[in-house]
Amino acid sequence: MANKKLTLALFSGSVDKLTAAGVILGGAAAEDMDVEIYVLLQAAFAFKKENAMTNERVAEITDKKDEFLASLRSLGTPHWTEAFRTAKEMTNVKIHICGFAGKVWKGYKLDDFIGLADDICGIGEYMTSAEESDINLFI
Amino acid sequence: MTTEELKALTVNKSVDARGTSCPGPLLAAKKAIGQIEEGQVMEVLSADEGTRRDIPKWCTKKGYEYLGTLEEAGYYKIFLKK
Repeated sequence: MANKKLTLALFSGSVDKLTAAGVILGGAAAEDMDVEIYVLLQAAFAFKKENAMTNERVAEITDKKDEFLASLRSLGTPHWTEAFRTAKEMTNVKIHICGFAGKVWKGYKLDDFIGLADDICGIGEYMTSAEESDINLFI
Repeated sequence: MTTEELKALTVNKSVDARGTSCPGPLLAAKKAIGQIEEGQVMEVLSADEGTRRDIPKWCTKKGYEYLGTLEEAGYYKIFLKK
């Protein structure tokens, strides 16, 4: 039986939402799902090499940012890049950087982004993947 | 299985995931299940309430047999058979 498929339109460049995406990816990995991630606009900022580990922006409950980040650390929560890497090691996960999003943040080549990214693509591939998926998410 | 039966089980693989939060224990279970043979028993130690609910459902989806859970002091022992 073919694996179930998850398509994730990842728009957010905030660590709270990226961490949530990492948790969901863990669930998908546990179930051997095939996963296609499309890195859109603000997420492309977070995927740039110079930003991935230093970016500490949060999108929600911003007045509690320090408490939130400290709580993640005390719980031993892996950094979102680590959660994504673990999922890639455990199941078939492909990460595509939207070419437009890349340009917005001056990322023109795959090498401008962290090694988790597999390629740079156009929106047509996202549409095809979404049509073929069992689960579609926008984060 | 009854509590007594779970306590008497011969465990072939023990996975201590008490230091991680969801989905850490589930991923630890998935990694470890490849290290045991069909018919063997694995226990997953987890302090995570969500994992207690996730592992039985994961077993059903993946074709493993969920045997039961023992509640220990501050954590759970979750048993399954490959």
